[in-house]
Amino acid sequence: MGMLRIISKRGDDRLIWNAEDALAGDAEAKAAVQEAERIFAKEQAKGATAFRVEPGKPIERVEQFDPQAEQIVMVPRVVGG
Amino acid sequence: MVVVGAVLCAVASTVLILALGELIAHSSSGRPEAKRRAGELLRAVLTPDQYGHLMQRGHIDIASPSDPDRIYRLPKGPGRVQVREKGKLTMWLCLQPLERVPEADLLVMHKLMIEADEQTYLRKANRFSPTFWEMRERPELQ
Repeated sequence: MGMLRIISKRGDDRLIWNAEDALAGDAEAKAAVQEAERIFAKEQAKGATAFRVEPGKPIERVEQFDPQAEQIVMVPRVVGG
Repeated sequence: MVVVGAVLCAVASTVLILALGELIAHSSSGRPEAKRRAGELLRAVLTPDQYGHLMQRGHIDIASPSDPDRIYRLPKGPGRVQVREKGKLTMWLCLQPLERVPEADLLVMHKLMIEADEQTYLRKANRFSPTFWEMRERPELQ
């Protein structure tokens, strides 16, 4: 299972998908992956930065949506305060 | 005429109260649900040691990926980030999201950026020099 978490004023908005089912051709799972990819691109266009966060592994900045990622966290655009 | 005025005044007051209520209900980090979700994400992102330290000391230290002598001290609440080199405060940093987010999410944001994209973090943050007195802080406060 993969999860996209977008930090926002609501805490974080979450979208979950099943990459294995999507690869196996499940239509609902494929739609979930496509929706996650669409939201990823939309947030990125707004200036958000994405990080791959997985237990036991170093945090990694990502530029492309990866359906195999266990968890992607998107941080909204930041500015010096 | 007076009655009409009173009715209009009452209607206007009601609309104003409802609008204020809506505004407060949808204000960003004041919502309990937003805070709960942000707390969950923070627990998922911090190591157990970091989370324990945060609860006990009110801050967490994130090691610089590029400089073994440098740590970033993130406060639990809103505020500037300390840069400490060899244990001494050398700089304050201020970086914030354009969108208002719950406090716990600010910590997540700082940690992710420092650990995965330190150079961008340093480039975007505003820097402040510590005062003379801050540089002479007592060891027990460090």
